[in-house]
Amino acid sequence: MNRSRARFGDNRFLQIALVCYALFWVVLAIHPVDRSDWFLENLLVFATASVLIPTYRKFQLSNLSYALILLFLALHAIGAHYTYAKVPIGFWLRDFLHLQRNHFDRVIHFAFGFLLVYPMRELLRRSAGARETWAAWLAVAALAALSSFFEILEGIIAQIVRPDLGIAYLGTQGDIWDAQKDMTAAFAGAILATLLLLSAQLHRRNPTRA
Amino acid sequence: MNQQNKFVSGLAALCAVVWVLAAIHPADRQAWILENLLVVLFVATLALAYRRLQLSNASYIFIALFVILHTIGAHYTYAKMPIGLWAKDFFGFSRNHADRVAHFGFGFFLAFPVRELLLRFGGIRRGWSFWLPPAIILAISGFFEILESIVAEIIAPGKGVEWLGGQGDEWDAQNDILSALLGSLVMMAGIALTSRKKSMR
Repeated sequence: MNRSRARFGDNRFLQIALVCYALFWVVLAIHPVDRSDWFLENLLVFATASVLIPTYRKFQLSNLSYALILLFLALHAIGAHYTYAKVPIGFWLRDFLHLQRNHFDRVIHFAFGFLLVYPMRELLRRSAGARETWAAWLAVAALAALSSFFEILEGIIAQIVRPDLGIAYLGTQGDIWDAQKDMTAAFAGAILATLLLLSAQLHRRNPTRA
Repeated sequence: MNQQNKFVSGLAALCAVVWVLAAIHPADRQAWILENLLVVLFVATLALAYRRLQLSNASYIFIALFVILHTIGAHYTYAKMPIGLWAKDFFGFSRNHADRVAHFGFGFFLAFPVRELLLRFGGIRRGWSFWLPPAIILAISGFFEILESIVAEIIAPGKGVEWLGGQGDEWDAQNDILSALLGSLVMMAGIALTSRKKSMR
């Protein structure tokens, strides 16, 4: 396969996408609402970069996968700049739909599942050797797992940073089922994207049907 | 084939006996029914799938051990399990940790059959077969915590974490999931270490 041997120097699409993301990230790194929270949120970005960059020479995802990952990280950069609970569009959404709280974080949890299920599926298919249908549903499980793991990490960090505040420290905004709802949003995103992908594949194979 | 049939039916009979004994005068009948719903569904699925999908004897042993552990826990509604109460007093814990042991057992016992399933039917390579079972255990645990919270809101709205096995722990969901993850990782480490020994011989 040519695709897996393409060098970064020849991949104009990836170069442009990366530069766009970097510019966006730098702009949002200027005067965030809360610098220490911004730093905590950005650990995710550093972790992702430290996995994807060193493995690039040996294993490359498709450009579509990289674009989806960068799109997710760009959305996350907005949340990190405004500390999620204070993202302006979330306030607008709250007033518009008469919600109890700023739901921008839920939107990003949903986007986590929705945008990243395709790259995960590609990884499982090409690196882990998973059969096609297995890869589709294992990717959903893998994202659900990452989402659960994230809630554990969040809990541990909160207990280290501010043990006195408990779950109030997180973006729970007073919701005792915050962890469960965050995970539900990610699961729903992953399942929805998988169903859309599967129906698109069925359609491509049998264009006459449906 | 016949040999395995006998072995698996023996295990099923053992589980059934324990289950019937535990069904007599449980600590709380409503909680007992809720705790048993998922297990009955799980065992029924395995039984229906048996003709097409047969796991190894080792997998069935681990599944049976988990089912027995959970059956006993459900009888005492976990928070009132005698051995957990004893450990609470003895070690000075703030709560009865029997439910955490069951979450750990879930990860530990079920990671083995999940790995077997992935290797035999999913086409997963060996290296990945140690990381995907913990991922699946994490995913199912997270899903279970979601279900638990929905059931809690339906049956006891407003009581929240307290109604669940939370026993005052506001990080109950996270700690439950972490226990299952640790259980699955211990099992994977065990398999990795013992199977390496085999290939060196």
